[in-house]
Amino acid sequence: MILDFFLRKELRKFPFFFLLLFVTLFLGTLGLTGISLVSNQVRDRLRDNANELLTSDIAVSARREFTPSELAGLAEVFSGMAHRRYKVVDIYSMVTTLGDDKARLVEIRGTEETYPYYGGLTLRAGTRKPAPFYISKDLADLWEVRVGDRLRVGELTFAVDGIVEVDTSLGIRGFSLAPRVYLPLEKLVQSGLLKPGATGSYAHHFRLEGLSSGKLEDLKKEIYAALPDPGIKIVLPEDTSEQTGRVIDLISNYMSLSGLIGLLLSLVGVFYLYQSHLIARLKDLCLLNLHGLPKSRIVLGVVTQFSLVFLLVLVLEVLLVVPGYRYFAPSLSKTLGLELSSDVRFSSFLLDYPYLYVLSLSVLIPLLLGLMRTSMGLQLKASKLSMGRFRYFDFFPFALLLWLFSCYLANSFKTGNIFFASLALIFLLSTLLVLGAQWVLSKLLRSKGLLLPTVEYGIALRGLTRSGHKLTLSFLSLALSATLISLILQLDTKILGEFVLDHRKPALFIFDIQEEQIEELLSFTKGQGQELEGVTPMIRGRLEKVNGEKFGGRKRDFDFRSREEDEDATARNSGLNLTYRGSLSPAEKIVDGEPFPEAPGDPERLPGISLEKRWAQRMDLSIGDKLTFDIQGVEFEGQVRNIREVKWTSFYPNFFVSIEPGFIEAAPKTYLAVLPAGARGEKLRFQKSVVEKFPNISFIDVEELITKLSDLFTKSQKAIGVISWMSLLVGLVILYGLSHDQVYRRYYDLALMKSLGFSEGKLRANLLYEFGTLFLSALCLGFFLGWLLAQVIGKEVFKLPFGVDWSRILLPGMGLIILCLATILLSSWRAVRAKPKELLSDT
Amino acid sequence: MMKVSALKKSYGQGSSRVDVLKGVDLEIREGETLALVGKSGSGKSTLLSLLAGLDSPDSGTIQIGGQNITTLDERALTQFRATHMGIIFQQFHLVSTLTAYENVLLPLELLKKPDARDTALKLLSDVGLKDRAHHLPSQLSGGESQRVAIARALATRPGILFADEPSGNLDEETGEKVMDLLFQMVKETGTTMVLVTHDPDLAKKCARTIHLEHGGLL
Ligand SMILES: Nc1ncnc2c1ncn2[C@@H]1O[C@H](COP(=O)(O)OP(=O)(O)O)[C@@H](O)[C@H]1O
Ligand SMILES: [Mg+2]
Repeated sequence: MILDFFLRKELRKFPFFFLLLFVTLFLGTLGLTGISLVSNQVRDRLRDNANELLTSDIAVSARREFTPSELAGLAEVFSGMAHRRYKVVDIYSMVTTLGDDKARLVEIRGTEETYPYYGGLTLRAGTRKPAPFYISKDLADLWEVRVGDRLRVGELTFAVDGIVEVDTSLGIRGFSLAPRVYLPLEKLVQSGLLKPGATGSYAHHFRLEGLSSGKLEDLKKEIYAALPDPGIKIVLPEDTSEQTGRVIDLISNYMSLSGLIGLLLSLVGVFYLYQSHLIARLKDLCLLNLHGLPKSRIVLGVVTQFSLVFLLVLVLEVLLVVPGYRYFAPSLSKTLGLELSSDVRFSSFLLDYPYLYVLSLSVLIPLLLGLMRTSMGLQLKASKLSMGRFRYFDFFPFALLLWLFSCYLANSFKTGNIFFASLALIFLLSTLLVLGAQWVLSKLLRSKGLLLPTVEYGIALRGLTRSGHKLTLSFLSLALSATLISLILQLDTKILGEFVLDHRKPALFIFDIQEEQIEELLSFTKGQGQELEGVTPMIRGRLEKVNGEKFGGRKRDFDFRSREEDEDATARNSGLNLTYRGSLSPAEKIVDGEPFPEAPGDPERLPGISLEKRWAQRMDLSIGDKLTFDIQGVEFEGQVRNIREVKWTSFYPNFFVSIEPGFIEAAPKTYLAVLPAGARGEKLRFQKSVVEKFPNISFIDVEELITKLSDLFTKSQKAIGVISWMSLLVGLVILYGLSHDQVYRRYYDLALMKSLGFSEGKLRANLLYEFGTLFLSALCLGFFLGWLLAQVIGKEVFKLPFGVDWSRILLPGMGLIILCLATILLSSWRAVRAKPKELLSDT
Repeated sequence: MMKVSALKKSYGQGSSRVDVLKGVDLEIREGETLALVGKSGSGKSTLLSLLAGLDSPDSGTIQIGGQNITTLDERALTQFRATHMGIIFQQFHLVSTLTAYENVLLPLELLKKPDARDTALKLLSDVGLKDRAHHLPSQLSGGESQRVAIARALATRPGILFADEPSGNLDEETGEKVMDLLFQMVKETGTTMVLVTHDPDLAKKCARTIHLEHGGLL
């Protein structure tokens, strides 16, 4: 009977309410679960990816061969556990073609047979065979080498067995400093290139059975204890996480949060829908109570009702989301450069639903408590029904769950907290704004006439001042969706522009240009119709002392730089690249200290040093520190004069340490230059012709990286865009329900005003004024907040200056207002048409 | 002042059709107070809604001051009502977002009357609610609400006032007081009034009483 009342009868009597409830919940959860599904898949893939980058579970490496006692120490540490192992040696050396004697610096990777445990090589041409000799596609393209062609490596000659298209150990970035050549380790030994003193990386990789992440950390400590040489480095999969992977991870977390905003909006809608529904049903509920149904069972009935709708939403979503994901997975994989599995782990996806359910239900708690507080017997005697009031404290469970949920979705307490705090701030701001405006208006309007400037508007203003917290809710939901939309629109112009490939972006980094080659190279490139930019000297050096004390090296960290540079910066006892430069590149900005003086000035003064901000932070250096570098055997002392910030989206090569000109020019150096982005074909041709003339010069193709990142940003932007428009839709549904409800609540007011001489047009104008004022202010606030957020993100992440793009504010803003006003007109259409005779009916 | 002839009104279609008014003829003189009585469901409110132009009849004419209001379009009717009629409802029907004062002010400002604000305040003090002027309807009692409604109905000095069971939602004592007030003000202003009621005592206060039964006047 009770179930019948709450389910079947209700559904039949209030189909519109249930439809709205369903649509609101559906839209709100769909974005979130869709994103959550994708980000779970991405996260899984990134975890695998980290292993693939390392090719094993743990690697122990040094820039020299391990001593027998070290090997014994290693064996000792691993003796207790089931493991497999192999050795990988990477060295840089020249490789020559046999026919025409073209020579080139390559990275030679010698591996044992079981390499790799994770990931692997994908061949473009050639066949797999035991003990193969492969070359990377970069090298093949550059030299037009084909399978079967012969190359000389050290004292040996090899026939190319295959050309590597993808090497998962290179990660998403897909390139190394020099093209790679792969051969069996024993062949590398035979080649004679591993002479004592030859530098390279010697790594022992292990794969462990039955492993937990905590165990790896313990193991790391054990190995450090067993092998005390500071030159030995231990790498775990999570240490390899590269920038692109972390960017993807970050993006997926942020997308989840924007999905959460969508959900939040829909929950505002759910709250609102249920509130008006319960008020409308109050009389019947009181009657049920009067005839013996306890309040607790009424509450249970409502909960059951809601749960059923939620279940329906869940079923429909499972039916939609999974095929939807399968459909989009291939293109998504391509965008992310991650091979996403098309198998959906139902567990991870379905696990979100209990959270969602509890969160959604918790928003109803204040209403249910209000119902419990209603004195139902009294209601039937009173002339006007009124539900027990809820208190603000009743929202506490919801707020708590929301906070937990945002931390869970952001995958970090910090981000979750910031998100939750900003939401709370927006909420507070909206509430204060609404209440403040209401207070001021009510003071202003007191005993003023209604003509402000017309009666319609005068009445509209009074409606706004006197409808209390109802307005806060609709104001808030509108402001939130406007914030989201404006954020997307602003980010769009602000950040995507950073990834546009144009002449300001580099296509190639050109390395290892010898001093005597630079003039020739420049004129040669001019002859090719190209112009090199950012020609910068590069001097190898090592930081020896800081303020006279021996420098010990600092903690590991990562930055958007080549891995080698990164390792150089952090590994103990290894060097870094210095440069000297008087002026800043367009991508740089001094954030602290003074620029180098123009004139030489005081001869007593130490030479100035400029440090990159993040490097300085990592190395714990600041302005005024005296640094002593060892530059190829010669000591050089200088003083930190300024700290630079570098806009990484310029993608130009960046130096951690730059020295004031006039002091180290005599040191032996190579040059680095940049080929600005242009047509792809040209780039390859250019590369070939340069290599032919200057075989020692190396390249890095950055164009590919920029294209990949830009694609990634565009796509994720689109995804967030879809969510924000979806939340706008939710916002509009709420708006519709809200104005529908408000208008019907004022049904008699409208009829009355008609009987007092208001025409339909005037009534509509009155409603439009009232809601329009509300929406306009909500949209203004939302657009402002979204703009502000975009500026802050642009400033913090991309080092962009503040700016306003009015076209991205005014047009969509106007569109939104029109959409909102249309929604109001639509929802009030019938009520406004109602004949005033209804005023005379008895009920 | 008012002449109604052969007024017909029915609701519904086919078998569910109810003929509420089957041809009502009625004449009301200037300044007359008329009580319209009849059983519940006899069509009193229906007739009143037609007279006040809140609804349109199936056939018949309603002449008010020489103007046949059944031929007016929506806009003209609205204007006519605002200028010439005042209406008082059983459920008071104050605009919920406007204060007592603003409710009275509303019809005055709609007609752009000069001194609207002073007039509204004076009317409020006439009905004894000067100190409740800035209260919202939700803060007023039933009797107070109805007094505001009376003030509002008479604010524009309409030629004719319609009242549908104005004491129906008030307790006996309050009802009596408010009705005394109503009659006193109607008398002072010389307003014509059609008052629907089923209370014989109230009907007696009017100059004339007519009965509605079976769709016609007795
Ligand atoms: N909108 C309507 N649709 C159908 N029937 C109606 C409608 N309004 C009133 N009626 C019917 O018309 C008759 C007269 O109603 P009403 O004028 O309200 O009576 P009274 O005011 O005298 O109590 C009743 O039988 C009522 O059921
Ligand atoms: Mg009636």
